[in-house]
Amino acid sequence: MDKKLKETILNPIFKGNPISVLVLGICSSLAVTVELKGAFVMALSVTIVTGLSSLVCSLIRKSIPNRVRIIIQLVVVALMVILVDQVLKAYAYGIDKQLSVYIGLIITNCIVMGRIEAYALSNKPWPSLLDGLSNGIGYGMILIVVAFFRELLGSGTLFGFRVIPECFYAAGYMNNGLVILPPMALILLGCIIWIQRSIQKDLQEK
Amino acid sequence: MNTNNNVYTVVYTTVVCVLVAAILAFVSQSLKAKQEANEKAENISQILTAAQFGEKSHWSEIGNDATIAFYTENIEAALLVNAKGEICGELEGDNVYSVSDLKKQNYAIRDNAEMALPFYIFKNGTSAIAIYGAGLWGPVWGYIALEGDLKTIAGAYFDHESETPGLGGKIKDDPAFRAQFSGKVVDYADEAAPFAIVKGGAGDKANAIDAITGATMTSKGVDAAINNWLKAYEPAIFAAASCCSGNCEECCGECAEGECTECTECAECETKANEEE
Repeated sequence: MDKKLKETILNPIFKGNPISVLVLGICSSLAVTVELKGAFVMALSVTIVTGLSSLVCSLIRKSIPNRVRIIIQLVVVALMVILVDQVLKAYAYGIDKQLSVYIGLIITNCIVMGRIEAYALSNKPWPSLLDGLSNGIGYGMILIVVAFFRELLGSGTLFGFRVIPECFYAAGYMNNGLVILPPMALILLGCIIWIQRSIQKDLQEK
Repeated sequence: MNTNNNVYTVVYTTVVCVLVAAILAFVSQSLKAKQEANEKAENISQILTAAQFGEKSHWSEIGNDATIAFYTENIEAALLVNAKGEICGELEGDNVYSVSDLKKQNYAIRDNAEMALPFYIFKNGTSAIAIYGAGLWGPVWGYIALEGDLKTIAGAYFDHESETPGLGGKIKDDPAFRAQFSGKVVDYADEAAPFAIVKGGAGDKANAIDAITGATMTSKGVDAAINNWLKAYEPAIFAAASCCSGNCEECCGECAEGECTECTECAECETKANEEE
Protein backbone atom coordinates (compact mmCIF):
# COMPACT_ATOMS: atom_id res chain seq x y z
CA MET A 1 0.00 0.00 0.00
CA ASP A 2 2.76 2.39 0.99
CA LYS A 3 4.54 1.72 -2.25
CA LYS A 4 1.36 2.38 -4.19
CA LEU A 5 0.87 5.69 -2.38
CA LYS A 6 4.43 6.69 -3.15
CA GLU A 7 3.79 5.85 -6.77
CA THR A 8 0.65 8.03 -6.69
CA ILE A 9 2.67 10.97 -5.46
CA LEU A 10 5.76 10.58 -7.63
CA ASN A 11 4.22 9.46 -10.91
CA PRO A 12 2.57 12.77 -11.91
CA ILE A 13 5.71 14.71 -11.12
CA PHE A 14 7.93 13.07 -13.69
CA LYS A 15 6.93 9.81 -15.33
CA GLY A 16 3.30 10.73 -15.87
CA ASN A 17 3.57 14.49 -15.84
CA PRO A 18 0.23 16.03 -16.84
CA ILE A 19 1.80 18.54 -19.24
CA SER A 20 4.83 16.86 -20.72
CA VAL A 21 3.45 13.31 -20.92
CA LEU A 22 -0.33 13.60 -20.93
CA VAL A 23 -0.23 17.00 -22.69
CA LEU A 24 -3.11 18.38 -20.64
CA GLY A 25 -3.57 21.97 -19.49
CA ILE A 26 -1.53 23.39 -22.36
CA CYS A 27 -3.63 26.55 -22.84
CA SER A 28 -2.97 28.02 -19.45
CA SER A 29 0.69 27.01 -19.55
CA LEU A 30 1.04 29.16 -22.65
CA ALA A 31 -0.85 32.07 -21.20
CA VAL A 32 0.58 32.60 -17.74
CA THR A 33 4.23 31.76 -18.24
CA VAL A 34 5.46 35.18 -19.34
CA GLU A 35 6.53 36.04 -15.81
CA LEU A 36 7.65 33.80 -12.98
CA LYS A 37 5.49 35.45 -10.33
CA GLY A 38 2.29 34.79 -12.24
CA ALA A 39 3.35 31.25 -13.08
CA PHE A 40 4.13 30.59 -9.44
CA VAL A 41 0.75 31.77 -8.17
CA MET A 42 -1.00 29.91 -10.99
CA ALA A 43 0.87 26.72 -10.07
CA LEU A 44 -0.11 27.14 -6.44
CA SER A 45 -3.74 27.84 -7.31
CA VAL A 46 -4.02 24.85 -9.63
CA THR A 47 -2.40 22.60 -7.01
CA ILE A 48 -4.91 23.71 -4.38
CA VAL A 49 -7.83 23.34 -6.77
CA THR A 50 -6.87 19.88 -8.05
CA GLY A 51 -6.10 18.69 -4.51
CA LEU A 52 -9.29 19.94 -2.91
CA SER A 53 -11.65 19.00 -5.73
CA SER A 54 -10.19 15.50 -5.88
CA LEU A 55 -10.66 15.24 -2.12
CA VAL A 56 -14.27 16.44 -2.17
CA CYS A 57 -15.23 14.34 -5.18
CA SER A 58 -13.65 11.31 -3.59
CA LEU A 59 -15.57 11.92 -0.36
CA ILE A 60 -18.90 12.00 -2.18
CA ARG A 61 -17.96 9.48 -4.90
CA LYS A 62 -20.35 6.80 -3.70
CA SER A 63 -23.35 9.10 -3.57
CA ILE A 64 -22.90 10.79 -6.98
CA PRO A 65 -25.54 9.63 -9.48
CA ASN A 66 -23.59 8.23 -12.38
CA ARG A 67 -25.59 10.03 -15.06
CA VAL A 68 -24.84 13.51 -13.74
CA ARG A 69 -21.36 12.88 -12.38
CA ILE A 70 -19.59 15.23 -14.80
CA ILE A 71 -21.88 18.10 -13.84
CA ILE A 72 -21.39 17.43 -10.15
CA GLN A 73 -17.62 17.36 -10.63
CA LEU A 74 -17.83 20.61 -12.54
CA VAL A 75 -19.78 22.23 -9.72
CA VAL A 76 -17.20 21.11 -7.17
CA VAL A 77 -14.29 22.34 -9.32
CA ALA A 78 -16.04 25.65 -9.98
CA LEU A 79 -16.63 26.08 -6.26
CA MET A 80 -12.94 25.59 -5.50
CA VAL A 81 -11.83 27.92 -8.28
CA ILE A 82 -14.16 30.70 -7.16
CA LEU A 83 -12.99 30.27 -3.57
CA VAL A 84 -9.36 30.58 -4.64
CA ASP A 85 -10.21 33.62 -6.75
CA GLN A 86 -12.10 35.31 -3.91
CA VAL A 87 -9.34 34.68 -1.40
CA LEU A 88 -6.71 36.02 -3.82
CA LYS A 89 -8.85 39.11 -4.46
CA ALA A 90 -8.97 39.77 -0.73
CA TYR A 91 -5.40 38.92 0.26
CA ALA A 92 -3.24 39.09 -2.88
CA TYR A 93 -5.03 41.70 -4.96
CA GLY A 94 -2.06 42.63 -7.13
CA ILE A 95 -1.38 39.08 -8.20
CA ASP A 96 -5.04 38.36 -8.79
CA LYS A 97 -5.17 41.38 -11.08
CA GLN A 98 -2.14 40.15 -12.95
CA LEU A 99 -3.58 36.67 -13.54
CA SER A 100 -6.99 38.18 -14.33
CA VAL A 101 -9.15 35.71 -16.21
CA TYR A 102 -6.78 32.77 -15.98
CA ILE A 103 -7.69 31.98 -12.39
CA GLY A 104 -11.31 31.61 -13.47
CA LEU A 105 -10.19 29.48 -16.38
CA ILE A 106 -8.68 26.85 -14.06
CA ILE A 107 -12.20 25.38 -14.26
CA THR A 108 -11.52 24.43 -17.84
CA ASN A 109 -8.09 22.99 -17.08
CA CYS A 110 -8.28 19.39 -18.25
CA ILE A 111 -6.01 18.19 -15.47
CA VAL A 112 -8.56 18.93 -12.75
CA MET A 113 -11.46 17.07 -14.34
CA GLY A 114 -9.14 14.44 -15.71
CA ARG A 115 -7.81 13.50 -12.29
CA ILE A 116 -11.27 13.41 -10.76
CA GLU A 117 -12.59 11.13 -13.48
CA ALA A 118 -9.53 8.92 -13.63
CA TYR A 119 -8.57 8.71 -9.99
CA ALA A 120 -10.72 10.38 -7.33
CA LEU A 121 -13.96 8.63 -8.33
CA SER A 122 -12.47 5.21 -7.71
CA ASN A 123 -10.11 5.86 -4.80
CA LYS A 124 -10.27 6.78 -1.14
CA PRO A 125 -10.10 10.47 -0.10
CA TRP A 126 -6.51 10.50 1.24
CA PRO A 127 -4.81 9.08 -1.86
CA SER A 128 -7.10 11.22 -4.02
CA LEU A 129 -5.97 14.36 -2.24
CA LEU A 130 -2.34 13.36 -2.72
CA ASP A 131 -2.95 12.50 -6.36
CA GLY A 132 -4.57 15.88 -6.97
CA LEU A 133 -1.83 17.78 -5.19
CA SER A 134 1.02 16.03 -6.95
CA ASN A 135 -0.62 16.49 -10.34
CA GLY A 136 -0.87 20.18 -9.54
CA ILE A 137 2.79 20.18 -8.58
CA GLY A 138 3.76 18.35 -11.76
CA TYR A 139 1.84 20.93 -13.76
CA GLY A 140 3.33 23.78 -11.75
CA MET A 141 6.89 22.55 -12.20
CA ILE A 142 6.65 22.72 -15.97
CA LEU A 143 4.99 26.11 -15.72
CA ILE A 144 7.83 27.45 -13.62
CA VAL A 145 10.52 26.04 -15.89
CA VAL A 146 8.88 27.57 -18.96
CA ALA A 147 8.30 30.87 -17.16
CA PHE A 148 11.92 30.94 -16.02
CA PHE A 149 13.19 30.88 -19.61
CA ARG A 150 10.51 33.19 -20.93
CA GLU A 151 11.06 35.87 -18.31
CA LEU A 152 14.84 35.58 -18.47
CA LEU A 153 15.09 35.74 -22.26
CA GLY A 154 12.04 37.90 -22.90
CA SER A 155 12.35 40.56 -20.23
CA GLY A 156 15.81 39.99 -18.75
CA THR A 157 14.31 39.69 -15.27
CA LEU A 158 13.46 36.95 -12.78
CA PHE A 159 10.56 37.49 -10.38
CA GLY A 160 10.65 41.09 -11.62
CA PHE A 161 14.28 41.65 -10.61
CA ARG A 162 16.75 42.55 -13.33
CA VAL A 163 19.31 39.75 -13.74
CA ILE A 164 20.84 40.64 -17.08
CA PRO A 165 23.16 43.53 -16.30
CA GLU A 166 22.79 46.89 -18.01
CA CYS A 167 26.20 46.58 -19.63
CA PHE A 168 24.88 43.69 -21.74
CA TYR A 169 22.24 45.98 -23.18
CA ALA A 170 24.83 48.68 -23.69
CA ALA A 171 26.88 46.16 -25.66
CA GLY A 172 23.96 45.50 -27.98
CA TYR A 173 22.10 42.64 -26.29
CA MET A 174 18.36 42.78 -26.79
CA ASN A 175 15.49 41.05 -25.07
CA ASN A 176 13.92 38.47 -27.33
CA GLY A 177 10.42 39.71 -28.12
CA LEU A 178 9.45 36.36 -29.62
CA VAL A 179 9.85 34.58 -26.29
CA ILE A 180 7.12 36.77 -24.80
CA LEU A 181 4.56 35.55 -27.33
CA PRO A 182 2.64 32.30 -26.75
CA PRO A 183 4.13 30.37 -29.70
CA MET A 184 7.52 30.40 -28.03
CA ALA A 185 5.99 28.81 -24.93
CA LEU A 186 4.80 26.01 -27.17
CA ILE A 187 8.29 25.58 -28.59
CA LEU A 188 9.83 25.58 -25.09
CA LEU A 189 7.24 23.02 -24.05
CA GLY A 190 8.19 20.95 -27.07
CA CYS A 191 11.83 21.07 -25.96
CA ILE A 192 10.87 19.90 -22.47
CA ILE A 193 8.89 17.00 -23.92
CA TRP A 194 11.82 16.16 -26.19
CA ILE A 195 14.24 16.07 -23.26
CA GLN A 196 11.87 13.95 -21.19
CA ARG A 197 11.31 11.48 -24.02
CA SER A 198 15.00 11.06 -24.64
CA ILE A 199 15.47 10.22 -20.96
CA GLN A 200 12.38 8.07 -20.65
CA LYS A 201 12.76 5.66 -23.56
CA ASP A 202 9.49 3.80 -22.88
CA LEU A 203 7.51 6.89 -23.98
CA GLN A 204 8.93 6.72 -27.50
CA GLU A 205 6.63 5.28 -30.10
CA LYS A 206 8.13 2.65 -32.33
CA MET B 1 -29.08 2.45 -2.60
CA ASN B 2 -29.85 2.98 -6.27
CA THR B 3 -28.10 6.21 -7.18
CA ASN B 4 -29.44 6.11 -10.73
CA ASN B 5 -33.00 6.65 -9.64
CA ASN B 6 -34.54 9.80 -11.22
CA VAL B 7 -35.85 11.29 -7.99
CA TYR B 8 -32.53 10.72 -6.27
CA THR B 9 -30.64 12.39 -9.13
CA VAL B 10 -32.85 15.49 -9.06
CA VAL B 11 -32.76 15.80 -5.28
CA TYR B 12 -29.00 15.21 -5.19
CA THR B 13 -28.16 17.85 -7.79
CA THR B 14 -30.50 20.35 -6.14
CA VAL B 15 -28.92 19.82 -2.74
CA VAL B 16 -25.41 20.13 -4.16
CA CYS B 17 -26.28 23.34 -5.99
CA VAL B 18 -27.94 24.95 -2.97
CA LEU B 19 -25.05 23.95 -0.76
CA VAL B 20 -22.42 25.32 -3.13
CA ALA B 21 -24.40 28.54 -3.59
CA ALA B 22 -24.63 28.96 0.17
CA ILE B 23 -20.88 28.48 0.62
CA LEU B 24 -20.10 30.96 -2.14
CA ALA B 25 -22.54 33.53 -0.80
CA PHE B 26 -21.04 33.23 2.65
CA VAL B 27 -17.44 33.55 1.45
CA SER B 28 -18.29 36.41 -0.88
CA GLN B 29 -20.02 38.31 1.92
CA SER B 30 -17.27 37.78 4.46
CA LEU B 31 -14.48 38.83 2.09
CA LYS B 32 -16.39 41.66 0.47
CA ALA B 33 -15.18 44.47 2.74
CA LYS B 34 -11.56 43.50 2.25
CA GLN B 35 -11.93 43.18 -1.51
CA GLU B 36 -13.62 46.54 -1.84
CA ALA B 37 -10.95 48.20 0.27
CA ASN B 38 -8.32 46.64 -2.01
CA GLU B 39 -10.04 47.93 -5.11
CA LYS B 40 -10.46 51.41 -3.73
CA ALA B 41 -6.84 51.61 -2.57
CA GLU B 42 -5.78 50.36 -6.01
CA ASN B 43 -7.73 53.12 -7.77
CA ILE B 44 -6.42 55.75 -5.38
CA SER B 45 -2.85 54.56 -5.76
CA GLN B 46 -3.19 54.82 -9.55
CA ILE B 47 -4.38 58.41 -9.27
CA LEU B 48 -1.57 59.25 -6.85
CA THR B 49 1.00 57.60 -9.09
CA ALA B 50 -0.21 59.59 -12.09
CA ALA B 51 -0.01 62.79 -10.03
CA GLN B 52 3.63 62.00 -9.23
CA PHE B 53 3.23 61.57 -5.49
CA GLY B 54 5.21 58.34 -5.63
CA GLU B 55 5.90 55.25 -7.69
CA LYS B 56 3.20 52.59 -7.93
CA SER B 57 5.18 50.11 -5.86
CA HIS B 58 5.44 52.66 -3.04
CA TRP B 59 1.68 52.52 -2.45
CA SER B 60 1.55 48.75 -2.22
CA GLU B 61 4.43 48.91 0.25
CA ILE B 62 2.75 51.37 2.60
CA GLY B 63 -0.54 49.50 2.43
CA ASN B 64 -4.19 50.35 1.82
CA ASP B 65 -4.87 52.50 4.87
CA ALA B 66 -1.81 54.70 4.51
CA THR B 67 -2.51 55.18 0.80
CA ILE B 68 -6.09 56.28 1.43
CA ALA B 69 -4.94 58.53 4.29
CA PHE B 70 -2.35 60.17 2.04
CA TYR B 71 -5.03 60.78 -0.56
CA THR B 72 -7.49 62.40 1.82
CA GLU B 73 -4.72 64.62 3.20
CA ASN B 74 -3.62 65.86 -0.20
CA ILE B 75 -6.84 66.11 -2.15
CA GLU B 76 -8.31 69.58 -2.48
CA ALA B 77 -11.52 68.49 -4.19
CA ALA B 78 -12.71 65.59 -6.26
CA LEU B 79 -15.23 67.23 -8.56
CA LEU B 80 -17.59 65.73 -11.09
CA VAL B 81 -17.86 67.71 -14.30
CA ASN B 82 -20.18 67.41 -17.28
CA ALA B 83 -19.77 68.00 -21.01
CA LYS B 84 -20.68 71.68 -20.66
CA GLY B 85 -17.84 72.21 -18.25
CA GLU B 86 -20.11 72.66 -15.26
CA ILE B 87 -19.46 71.13 -11.89
CA CYS B 88 -22.27 68.68 -11.30
CA GLY B 89 -21.19 66.99 -8.11
CA GLU B 90 -18.39 66.13 -5.79
CA LEU B 91 -16.89 62.92 -4.46
CA GLU B 92 -16.70 63.21 -0.69
CA GLY B 93 -13.83 62.05 1.46
CA ASP B 94 -11.85 59.15 0.08
CA ASN B 95 -14.38 58.22 -2.58
CA VAL B 96 -13.05 57.83 -6.09
CA TYR B 97 -14.53 56.49 -9.30
CA SER B 98 -14.11 52.75 -9.71
CA VAL B 99 -13.19 51.20 -13.04
CA SER B 100 -16.82 50.25 -13.65
CA ASP B 101 -17.81 53.89 -13.00
CA LEU B 102 -15.31 54.93 -15.65
CA LYS B 103 -16.77 52.37 -18.01
CA LYS B 104 -20.24 53.88 -17.57
CA GLN B 105 -18.86 57.34 -18.25
CA ASN B 106 -17.15 56.02 -21.36
CA TYR B 107 -20.52 54.91 -22.69
CA ALA B 108 -21.90 58.36 -21.84
CA ILE B 109 -19.09 60.02 -23.79
CA ARG B 110 -19.64 57.72 -26.75
CA ASP B 111 -23.40 58.31 -26.79
CA ASN B 112 -23.11 62.01 -26.00
CA ALA B 113 -25.32 61.38 -22.98
CA GLU B 114 -25.36 63.05 -19.58
CA MET B 115 -21.96 62.52 -17.97
CA ALA B 116 -20.20 63.19 -14.71
CA LEU B 117 -16.46 62.86 -15.18
CA PRO B 118 -14.15 62.79 -12.18
CA PHE B 119 -11.72 65.69 -11.83
CA TYR B 120 -9.29 65.24 -8.95
CA ILE B 121 -7.65 68.45 -7.80
CA PHE B 122 -4.77 68.19 -5.35
CA LYS B 123 -3.62 70.79 -2.87
CA ASN B 124 -0.32 71.25 -4.67
CA GLY B 125 -2.13 72.46 -7.79
CA THR B 126 -1.85 69.23 -9.76
CA SER B 127 -5.06 67.76 -11.02
CA ALA B 128 -5.83 64.35 -12.45
CA ILE B 129 -8.33 63.33 -15.08
CA ALA B 130 -9.39 59.80 -15.94
CA ILE B 131 -9.37 58.04 -19.28
CA TYR B 132 -11.00 54.80 -20.40
CA GLY B 133 -11.10 53.00 -23.71
CA ALA B 134 -10.54 49.79 -25.60
CA GLY B 135 -7.11 48.19 -25.94
CA LEU B 136 -6.44 45.12 -28.03
CA TRP B 137 -7.96 42.37 -25.84
CA GLY B 138 -9.94 44.33 -23.31
CA PRO B 139 -10.45 47.71 -21.70
CA VAL B 140 -7.60 50.06 -20.87
CA TRP B 141 -7.95 52.93 -18.44
CA GLY B 142 -5.78 55.31 -16.53
CA TYR B 143 -5.19 58.79 -15.21
CA ILE B 144 -3.44 61.80 -16.64
CA ALA B 145 -2.19 64.40 -14.21
CA LEU B 146 -2.06 68.01 -15.35
CA GLU B 147 -0.06 70.76 -13.78
CA GLY B 148 -1.58 74.04 -12.56
CA ASP B 149 -1.85 75.49 -16.07
CA LEU B 150 -4.00 72.48 -17.05
CA LYS B 151 -1.97 72.04 -20.22
CA THR B 152 1.33 70.59 -19.12
CA ILE B 153 1.18 66.91 -18.24
CA ALA B 154 2.71 66.10 -14.88
CA GLY B 155 2.47 62.34 -15.25
CA ALA B 156 0.28 59.46 -16.22
CA TYR B 157 -0.65 55.97 -15.15
CA PHE B 158 -2.40 53.27 -17.11
CA ASP B 159 -3.92 49.94 -16.34
CA HIS B 160 -5.50 47.26 -18.44
CA GLU B 161 -7.50 44.10 -18.09
CA SER B 162 -5.84 41.69 -20.47
CA GLU B 163 -3.26 43.27 -22.76
CA THR B 164 -0.38 40.98 -23.77
CA PRO B 165 2.22 40.95 -20.99
CA GLY B 166 5.52 42.30 -22.25
CA LEU B 167 3.91 44.05 -25.23
CA GLY B 168 0.64 45.91 -24.69
CA GLY B 169 1.07 45.28 -20.98
CA LYS B 170 3.92 47.78 -21.07
CA ILE B 171 1.45 50.65 -20.80
CA LYS B 172 1.27 49.61 -17.17
CA ASP B 173 4.54 47.81 -16.51
CA ASP B 174 7.08 49.91 -18.37
CA PRO B 175 8.00 53.04 -16.40
CA ALA B 176 9.78 54.37 -19.49
CA PHE B 177 6.50 54.53 -21.42
CA ARG B 178 4.79 56.45 -18.65
CA ALA B 179 7.76 58.73 -18.07
CA GLN B 180 7.40 60.06 -21.62
CA PHE B 181 4.22 61.87 -20.59
CA SER B 182 5.83 64.13 -18.01
CA GLY B 183 6.44 67.60 -19.39
CA LYS B 184 4.42 67.11 -22.57
CA VAL B 185 1.85 69.80 -23.35
CA VAL B 186 -1.71 69.08 -24.47
CA ASP B 187 -2.52 71.09 -27.57
CA TYR B 188 -6.21 71.90 -27.25
CA ALA B 189 -6.09 73.89 -30.48
CA ASP B 190 -5.57 70.63 -32.40
CA GLU B 191 -9.16 69.50 -32.63
CA ALA B 192 -8.49 66.10 -34.15
CA ALA B 193 -5.97 65.01 -31.55
CA PRO B 194 -5.00 67.22 -28.60
CA PHE B 195 -2.50 64.53 -27.72
CA ALA B 196 -0.97 61.77 -29.80
CA ILE B 197 0.80 58.47 -29.32
CA VAL B 198 2.80 58.13 -32.49
CA LYS B 199 4.12 55.01 -34.13
CA GLY B 200 7.59 55.44 -35.48
CA GLY B 201 8.73 58.21 -33.21
CA ALA B 202 7.17 61.39 -31.92
CA GLY B 203 10.33 63.40 -32.39
CA ASP B 204 10.29 66.77 -30.71
CA LYS B 205 6.55 67.31 -30.86
CA ALA B 206 5.33 68.75 -27.57
CA ASN B 207 2.00 66.94 -27.62
CA ALA B 208 3.11 63.50 -28.77
CA ILE B 209 4.95 60.49 -27.40
CA ASP B 210 6.32 57.28 -28.90
CA ALA B 211 4.06 54.26 -29.21
CA ILE B 212 5.10 50.87 -27.89
CA THR B 213 6.94 48.64 -30.34
CA GLY B 214 4.96 45.49 -31.06
CA ALA B 215 1.82 46.85 -29.44
CA THR B 216 0.26 48.96 -32.16
CA MET B 217 -3.34 48.21 -31.26
CA THR B 218 -2.86 48.87 -27.56
CA SER B 219 -1.03 52.12 -28.31
CA LYS B 220 -3.84 53.17 -30.63
CA GLY B 221 -6.39 52.25 -27.97
CA VAL B 222 -4.67 54.37 -25.34
CA ASP B 223 -4.32 57.20 -27.84
CA ALA B 224 -8.05 57.08 -28.65
CA ALA B 225 -8.98 56.83 -24.98
CA ILE B 226 -6.88 59.89 -24.12
CA ASN B 227 -8.26 61.96 -26.96
CA ASN B 228 -11.90 60.99 -26.47
CA TRP B 229 -11.75 61.78 -22.80
CA LEU B 230 -9.66 64.93 -23.21
CA LYS B 231 -12.26 66.28 -25.60
CA ALA B 232 -15.00 65.46 -23.11
CA TYR B 233 -13.05 67.18 -20.37
CA GLU B 234 -12.13 70.18 -22.50
CA PRO B 235 -15.02 72.48 -21.51
CA ALA B 236 -14.38 71.80 -17.85
CA ILE B 237 -10.64 72.33 -18.25
CA PHE B 238 -11.27 75.61 -20.08
CA ALA B 239 -13.71 76.72 -17.39
CA ALA B 240 -11.21 75.95 -14.68
CA ALA B 241 -8.32 77.53 -16.54
CA SER B 242 -10.06 80.56 -18.01
CA CYS B 243 -9.48 83.00 -15.22
CA CYS B 244 -5.83 82.35 -14.72
CA SER B 245 -4.57 81.37 -18.13
CA GLY B 246 -3.71 83.03 -21.39
CA ASN B 247 -2.06 86.41 -21.35
CA CYS B 248 -3.40 87.35 -17.98
CA GLU B 249 -1.49 84.47 -16.43
CA GLU B 250 1.27 86.49 -14.86
CA CYS B 251 -0.66 89.39 -13.46
CA CYS B 252 -3.54 87.28 -12.26
CA GLY B 253 -3.75 86.68 -8.57
CA GLU B 254 -5.93 84.24 -6.70
CA CYS B 255 -8.30 82.07 -8.60
CA ALA B 256 -11.45 81.50 -6.62
CA GLU B 257 -14.67 79.87 -7.73
CA GLY B 258 -13.95 80.39 -11.40
CA GLU B 259 -13.34 84.11 -10.97
CA CYS B 260 -9.99 85.76 -10.93
CA THR B 261 -10.07 88.14 -8.04
CA GLU B 262 -7.41 90.54 -9.14
CA CYS B 263 -7.58 90.32 -12.88
CA THR B 264 -9.58 93.51 -13.40
CA GLU B 265 -7.01 95.49 -11.51
CA CYS B 266 -4.30 94.44 -13.89
CA ALA B 267 -3.53 97.22 -16.35
CA GLU B 268 -1.96 94.93 -18.88
CA CYS B 269 -5.06 92.81 -19.09
CA GLU B 270 -7.33 95.79 -19.53
CA THR B 271 -5.20 97.19 -22.30
CA LYS B 272 -5.24 93.81 -23.97
CA ALA B 273 -9.02 93.58 -23.62
CA ASN B 274 -9.44 97.07 -25.03
CA GLU B 275 -7.23 96.26 -27.97
CA GLU B 276 -9.27 93.22 -28.76
CA GLU B 277 -12.47 95.25 -28.72
